[in-house]
Order: sequence, then structure tokens, then C-alpha cells
Amino acid sequence: MRILFFAHLKDVTRCAELDLACGDVDTDGLWRKIINEHPGLEPFRGSVRLAKNSEYVGSDARFTDSDEVALIPPVSGG
Amino acid sequence: MQIEIQITTLPVPAPLPPPPLTGAGAWVEFRGIVRGEENGQLIAALEYEAYLPMAEREMRCILEELAGQRPCLFAKVIHRVGVIPAGETAIYAGVAGRHRAEAFALLTGFMDRLKRDVPIWKCRALTADNLAKLQAP
Repeated sequence: MRILFFAHLKDVTRCAELDLACGDVDTDGLWRKIINEHPGLEPFRGSVRLAKNSEYVGSDARFTDSDEVALIPPVSGG
Repeated sequence: MQIEIQITTLPVPAPLPPPPLTGAGAWVEFRGIVRGEENGQLIAALEYEAYLPMAEREMRCILEELAGQRPCLFAKVIHRVGVIPAGETAIYAGVAGRHRAEAFALLTGFMDRLKRDVPIWKCRALTADNLAKLQAP
């Protein structure tokens, strides 16, 4: 699974993306794996939305290794 | 509604001509420009980044959804990313409609949703010194 980081989350992880083998996981399982790799992301979990393959998903989403997942912190375009 | 979306590192041209659309009686434009201050400090530029495929997709979805409630004829959006000097356009949005009411409403609704849902970020403010260093050959 390809995990993408943006904005200040890149400063936390010191990288823009991460390849992670997760199998088939739900949202909680995915977050556990991501935070295990980058514990500094834990405080941001409540404010970050997840996007799967360029589309926002809810807390009931499931993810597989073929997905591209983006961690979307609060946006500030315009 | 016809939709054109660009996300680019290039400056947004000024002015942009209205589209030659039969039936359009209103052409409403908005430019969001980079302020020369951030949190009370003078700045020379802002750096923006975007999650490109999703940002384009979200903008299109938002415009299509809003057009269902406020039928318009055409919308053009250009969002600049990368380093944008203070005073220059970060976002341009133009909407053509049969009448001004729906064009203004669609444009306002789009900007509100963009600032909530489109994955684009102001990632850092640059002082004049920072900007000069970045632009140095």
C-alpha cells in the first residue's frame, strides 16, 4: 500500500510517502500500522481525513495493498 | 455545465476573457491573492502544495454538485501551486451563467467548499530573504 503525506505531516514523517504491507485492513487497523511506523502522527489522527485512491472515505472503509491512501490534514487552499 | 480546471506552477494570466457562450448574461470572476502578511509578520511569498489528482477531482465534483442547485453554463478554475509571491493570484475562479444570481451563488459556494475539502495547502510562508535565496541561481 502506498501512503502519502502532505503539508506539516511531511515534517513529522520526514518523507512524502511510505510503502506499507497491510493486507486487508479497516481504518483502525490502518492507523495502527501507520502510527507504528511514524509515532509522531498520533496527535494528528483526530484532524486528518483519509482518502483512498483520490476519494475521501469514512471510518467504515477497508483498505488493501493495491490502494493509494492519502492522509489529508485540514486544507488551506485558495 | 462546461468545466475547466488547471493546477499549475505558472502565474495566472490577467485578465482572462469571458467565454463566448450563447445565453450567458453574467461572467463572475474571483481572484484570491497572496497577502503580504501572515500572523502579523511581513512575508514575501507563500508556498502551496496539492495532492494533484484528488484536488482536480474534488474541484470538479464540487462544481458539478453545485451546478445541480445553481445551474450555470461554464466554470473555469486555476489554482497555482509552488512559491507564489505576495500580491499574485493563488486562485482564479470564473463562472458564466444566464443571470448574475446563480453565477455569484455558485462561485461563493465553490470557494467555501474548496477551503473545506480540496486537498491544497499553504505549506510555508517565506520572508524576503528566504525568497531571495530560493530564487538565487
